[in-house]
Amino acid sequence: MLKTLGRRWREKLDFGLFTLPVLICIAVAFYIPFVMTIRYSMTKWNGISKHPKFVGLDNFQQIFTGDSNFANSAWFTIKYALLYIVIVNVLAILLAVLLDMKLKSTSWLRAAFFIPYILSLVIVGFIWKFIFMQGFNSLGESTGWSFFGLSWLGTPGLAFISILGVSIWQSIGFYLVIYIAGLQSVPDDLKEAATVDGAGAMRRFFSITLPLLAPSITISVFMALTNSIKVFDVILSLTGGGPGGTTYSIAYDIYRDTFQNNLYGYGTAKALILFVAVLVVTIIQLTVFKRREVEA
Amino acid sequence: MKTNNNKAGRIILEVVLVILSLLFLYPLFLTIINSLKSFSEVMTDVIALPKHLALSNYSYVWKFINYPRLFLNNFIITGLGLLGIVFISSIAAYKLARTKSRLSGIIYFLCIMPMLIPFQSIMLTVLQTAKNLNLSGSTWGLGLLYWGFGAPLAVFIYHGFVKGIPTEIDESATIDGASSFRLFFSVIFPLLKSVTTTIVIIDVMWIWNDFLLPLLMVNGSPDTKTLTLAAYTFVGQYTSDWQYAMTAMVMAVLPSIIVFIFLQKYIVKGVVAGAVKG
Repeated sequence: MLKTLGRRWREKLDFGLFTLPVLICIAVAFYIPFVMTIRYSMTKWNGISKHPKFVGLDNFQQIFTGDSNFANSAWFTIKYALLYIVIVNVLAILLAVLLDMKLKSTSWLRAAFFIPYILSLVIVGFIWKFIFMQGFNSLGESTGWSFFGLSWLGTPGLAFISILGVSIWQSIGFYLVIYIAGLQSVPDDLKEAATVDGAGAMRRFFSITLPLLAPSITISVFMALTNSIKVFDVILSLTGGGPGGTTYSIAYDIYRDTFQNNLYGYGTAKALILFVAVLVVTIIQLTVFKRREVEA
Repeated sequence: MKTNNNKAGRIILEVVLVILSLLFLYPLFLTIINSLKSFSEVMTDVIALPKHLALSNYSYVWKFINYPRLFLNNFIITGLGLLGIVFISSIAAYKLARTKSRLSGIIYFLCIMPMLIPFQSIMLTVLQTAKNLNLSGSTWGLGLLYWGFGAPLAVFIYHGFVKGIPTEIDESATIDGASSFRLFFSVIFPLLKSVTTTIVIIDVMWIWNDFLLPLLMVNGSPDTKTLTLAAYTFVGQYTSDWQYAMTAMVMAVLPSIIVFIFLQKYIVKGVVAGAVKG
C-alpha cells in the first residue's frame, strides 16, 4: 500500500521534473509576452510614462479606419505572399523535375541552388543592394542592355519585384530539396509503366508526378505562406521600406510603429492583428490541404 | 536514333543547368571579388577581377568589428541555445509521449501551440520580459531565451519520434532499477540520434543567422553583438565604402559556407527531415 503510493508520487514527481523546464521556458518566450501584448494593445503608451493609459479598443478602431500605413503594408504583404508562394513553388518543382533526371552534375546543382538558403537574410539583402546599385552599373556598361539601367530599388513597382526576386533567390534551394525528396519517393516503376503506356512527358508530369507530389506541395506551400506573411529582414536591408514608403510589410510596419515611433500600445495592437491573421490563414490552409490530400 | 537524340538532349540540358547555376551564384562571386578590391577599383568596375588583392580590407574590418569577439558571441549564443533546446525538449517530449493522461495532452498542446505565434506579434513584450528577468544585453541571456523559442518545434519532432519507440525498451530498463533520468539518457536518448541531428541542423541555421531577436536583445554594445548584427551596423556606417561592406559580408557568411561545404549531405537531409516532420 505504502509502496504503491510512493510509486505514484514518484511518477508524478518525474512528470513534473521532465516537463516543467520546457513549460517555464515556453512561458517566458511566448505566453507571458503574449498576455502582455493583449494588455498593451488596449492602451496608449509611449514607453516613457510610467503607466500605460487604458483606451479600450480605440487602437483597433483607428487601425482599421484611419491608418493608411497599415492598409498599404497589408496590401503589400498579401501581394508579396501570393506571388512568392506561387512563383517559388512552380520554379522549385520545375527545377526538381530536371534535377531528378539523374544528371551527372545533380549534386553540384543541388548544392549551388541551396547555398543562399544558409545565409542570413539581412546579409542577402545587403549583397543584392550592392548588386543592384553598383553591379548593375558595370553590367549595363559591358552589355549595353537597358535592363540593367533601370532603378531597381528606386522605383516603387520595381522595388517590389526586387524584394520578391531576392527572397526567391535566397530560399528556392529549400523548396527544391523538399521537392527532390518528394520525387525520389515516387516509385520508378510507376514512371516507367506510364512510359510504356505511351504517355508523353507532359502527360506523365501532370497525371502522375504532380499528384504524387501532393504531400510535398502541402509542406512547401505551408512553409512559403508562414515565411512570406512575416517578411521583414530582407526588406530592412534591401530597401528600408522605400522608395516613398511603398515597400513596408506588416511586420516592418509593426516594427516601425513600436521601435521607431515609440507607439507601444498602437504597435502591439497591430501585432495582435497579425497574429490573428496568421492563425486564421494557417487553419484554413491546413483544413483545405488535408481534405484534398485524402481525396487524392 | 532515339537514344542518340535523348543523349544529346541530356547533355544540352546539363550544360544549360550548370550555366544557370553559375549565374545563380554570380552575386556571391561578385561579393567576394569586390571584397578584395580597393575603393577606386570597386567604383570603376564591379565585374572586373581585382588587379591587386587588397587583403588590407580584411585586416581593417577584422580589427574594426573585433571579429574574434563576434565569432565567440555567435558561438556562445548558438551553443547555449542548442544545448538547452535539445535537453529540455527531449525529456519533456519523452515524458509527454509516454504518459497517457489529460494533463499530458494539455501540456503537449501548450508546448506546440506557440508555433503559430509570429515573433513580430510579441517582440516588444518579449524584450520587456527579458529586461525584467535581466536576460537582455547579454549573450548568455539571449542563448537562454532561445530555449523557449526553439522548444515548440523540437518537442513536436521528438514527440512524433518517441511514439515509434516500443515501450518494452523502457520497461526492461525500469526493472533493472535505473532512475528515470538515467534511463532516459542511457537508453532512450541514444535512440533519438537521428532526430536530434535534424533538430541541431535546423536550429543552428536559425540561431546563427537570426536577426530580429538579437537586434532587440544584444545590439546595445559592440561586445555582445552577433556577426549578422555587426555586419548590419557596419554597412549602416560605411554606406559608400562598398569594399569594406563587402568584406564584412564575406566575413559574416564565410563560416556558414565552410560548414556547408563539409556537411552538405547532412544539412540538406536535416532540413528536409525537419520540414517533413514539422
